[in-house]
Amino acid sequence: MGRLLEVEDLRTHFFTRAGVVRAVDGVDFSVEKGKTLGIVGESGCGKSVTALSIMRLLPTPPARIVSGSIRFDGRELTTLSERELEDVRGREVAMVFQDPMTALNPTLTIGTQIIEVLRRHLGLDDRTARRRAAELLDEVGIPRARERLDDYPHQFSGGMRQRVVIAIAIACEPRLLIADEPTTALDVTVQAQVLDLLDDLRREHEMAMILITHNMGVVAESADDVAVMYAGQIVEQAPAHELFRRPEHPYTEALLAALPDLDDNGARSRRLAAIPGRPPDLIDPPQACRFAARCPYAGCGDSCALEPPALRELRPDHRVRTAHPASEREAVTA
Amino acid sequence: MTEPLLSVTDLKVHFPIRRGLLLDRTVDHVKAVDGVSFEIPEGQTLGLVGESGSGKSTTAYATLQLVRPTHGSVRFAGRELTTLRREELRRVRRDIQIVFQDPYASLNPRMTVGRIVGEPLQTHSVGSRRSRRAAVADLLELVGFDPSYTNRYPHEFSGGQRQRIGIARALALNPKLIVCDEPVSALDVSIQAQILNLLKDLQRDLGLTYLFIAHDLAVVRGMSDTIAVMHDGKIVEQGPADAVYTSPQSDYTRALLAAVPVPDPERMRARKAERLRLRPALSQA
Amino acid sequence: MSATQIAGRVAGVDAGAPIRQSSLWQDAWRRYLRNRGAVAAGILFLLIVVWCIVVPIVSPHDPNRIEFPDAYQGPSWSHPFGTDQFGRDLFTRAALGGRISIGIGFGATLAILLIGVAYGAISGFVGGKLDNALMRFLDALYGLPYLPFAILALAIIGTVNFWTMVVALSVASWFITARVVRGQIMTLKENDYVRAAYAVGVRWYMILGRHLLPNTLGVLVITIFLELPGVILGEAFLSFLGLGINPPDASWGSMAQDGRDAYRAHPHIIIIPSLAIATLVLCANFIADGLRDALDPRTKET
Repeated sequence: MGRLLEVEDLRTHFFTRAGVVRAVDGVDFSVEKGKTLGIVGESGCGKSVTALSIMRLLPTPPARIVSGSIRFDGRELTTLSERELEDVRGREVAMVFQDPMTALNPTLTIGTQIIEVLRRHLGLDDRTARRRAAELLDEVGIPRARERLDDYPHQFSGGMRQRVVIAIAIACEPRLLIADEPTTALDVTVQAQVLDLLDDLRREHEMAMILITHNMGVVAESADDVAVMYAGQIVEQAPAHELFRRPEHPYTEALLAALPDLDDNGARSRRLAAIPGRPPDLIDPPQACRFAARCPYAGCGDSCALEPPALRELRPDHRVRTAHPASEREAVTA
Repeated sequence: MTEPLLSVTDLKVHFPIRRGLLLDRTVDHVKAVDGVSFEIPEGQTLGLVGESGSGKSTTAYATLQLVRPTHGSVRFAGRELTTLRREELRRVRRDIQIVFQDPYASLNPRMTVGRIVGEPLQTHSVGSRRSRRAAVADLLELVGFDPSYTNRYPHEFSGGQRQRIGIARALALNPKLIVCDEPVSALDVSIQAQILNLLKDLQRDLGLTYLFIAHDLAVVRGMSDTIAVMHDGKIVEQGPADAVYTSPQSDYTRALLAAVPVPDPERMRARKAERLRLRPALSQA
Repeated sequence: MSATQIAGRVAGVDAGAPIRQSSLWQDAWRRYLRNRGAVAAGILFLLIVVWCIVVPIVSPHDPNRIEFPDAYQGPSWSHPFGTDQFGRDLFTRAALGGRISIGIGFGATLAILLIGVAYGAISGFVGGKLDNALMRFLDALYGLPYLPFAILALAIIGTVNFWTMVVALSVASWFITARVVRGQIMTLKENDYVRAAYAVGVRWYMILGRHLLPNTLGVLVITIFLELPGVILGEAFLSFLGLGINPPDASWGSMAQDGRDAYRAHPHIIIIPSLAIATLVLCANFIADGLRDALDPRTKET
């Protein structure tokens, strides 16, 4: 399988009155055809800005992609005109946002909104588009699809509305679906159903997917590969089973340790391993490793306190940006 | 056997649905809470879990008498709260406090941190002005702040820090019971762990009793001695935390547990199959 | 053991320093200064007010003295705005008229604020049936046309002077403010900090005075400049119709009326007060707009 999307050294900065916010600061990753890449990180780490940069949906100004390349199926997206982008968006790359309440126009029926996309990108006539719209609703698991085409968004529950958003996203059989916190606004049970649905759709349509979330559990359930972001950079990247079994970066380890465990019988009597401090200010990020101030392994006089570590390949497909990966620490103590 | 600190019996909160333009009349009721009973012994935590609309927050407000229950009894430290008059209730409020979910909406933006944390003391005229100021400094220190921040405003703090300020306010009157209404669901994982640890430490050192409400089952497990699972205004399962999680009795609890995403890709398939099997237990998608 | 006794004993809880240092009002002020139109309007507004205050004091001309030989002069060095049919210096007289127009404007606006805040706050705070009744009453008043209502109020009071004008104009136009304040209070009431105050046992009047009203301040500041133009125009209309300020006192409205008879031959007499009114109203609108952008927390920091 080839690479569908290749992002290289992407830097998206926000030019604000207070200074230049380096929201995304040198991000590299690629997405294989038909696979899911999970991008996980806490708020403000740049994961959503990365996604919006790919779609070129950020307001300019203040945001600007200052460097880097985004190649979709060999085509450079950063230099496309707004007109050319409109043909890519929704047709080849589609997006699902966090809030299903605002993603749909409340004054139009669901049917109208799906048909609009079908006509715009596929040039279907009204009757065919309507039939296709009903099929799509059926596919995303909305009962009585044909009747519900004439309903308005407020007549659907939050979970059902997100299904409608997904139906619109997959309407033109895009090759890449970017889902930005698609389940954060939903209840757990509904979240699980929506994630399962996305996974099924990806398989059937041979779509690739970028799943952006703050929830480690959500990536573990759905992603083939995982990129962990911190302070505008990817700090660790690996296949999901590898990342969760053998996390290397101290931040990844700390995030997993800070997570309350659903299956831990003794959890009541233990404290959680909290990460001290806060992520750095992205207007003036530290010259050194951005995690150094919170890292339990960074000693003074360490190389990582002086210069930023590069993203290096520790094992095949397992890359990490730290001077103290877990496997090397073990080697030292052993 | 001693009486539990809080016992709630057959609590019901029904909100009327009104219709009509000039003269509205009640056409129906929303049964937000419909016959909920639980007890919390002193120094322990009851975790109340449920999805949005399950009635868990309304249960909390009704326990605090912020919403007057339609029916049922709330006994706190041997006193029935539902029949108390306003002045008596004001005195009891010193012993029951609340910590809210949204760190942005829970602090008055026009008040300094010192005034926010000191307001409960001032309201109940505890001590002199000077001793109150000292108490506020101690409270800020207790939740991890340098006391010199008393003159700062809430918007100068991050979400996690604001939540600490909210906790300091809740502690001001040395309450016996604190209702924590989704105290960490608006926070990032690393900050969430800090706040949960703080709550645990405070419980240990001050002998606090918690009614801990959350939708995140993993968070609730780590905080609670007993768990009550709410669904559609009713408690569908109640028991010791470990028992509820390891051998859930109700299908709804099982479905809820199977839905929680777990950071372990190896178990993905099995869990997905389990979810499909339990689908009927969830009333709607 | 009390919470305050064990301060500092809880292990490993360092909350860190505040993440930013700023003041809400200073931030708003900074945002306002960034809006060039609003700043220009603000300066012009202040200049007009200063003119109205200072010029009648330092002017060599007595604004009420009749000098028929000087009548109907166009603008000149000694009379920058010319003179009227009685030979009175319009530069001085317009400043004097401005005192009354702006004075009535601010007076009535403050009265509107007082009535509106009291009515809206009670309605929004108490809620329920009382709110319903108060709002229906407001709906009924809403239907009344503004100026006839003010004229009716003046007729009922019987005399026309500065203060009765303030009363008549404010009585006829406090409805919008009341509704805005009610809406604000209703929204603010849903905030958790209000719930927290109840949970602590804070008394209702403290909740209203400490947690609700101070948070409507921003909206009230905007309201001042939104209401001001309406009131100033209202005063001008009434005086123009001869129902307002009586001669020899002047307001911009009554000055415009003075110029009505000779508007073909000597248009400056009507143009000068009209221009003053238009400028002031425009400034107030720009200021209100700037304040809204500055005080709205949703305004983007870019």
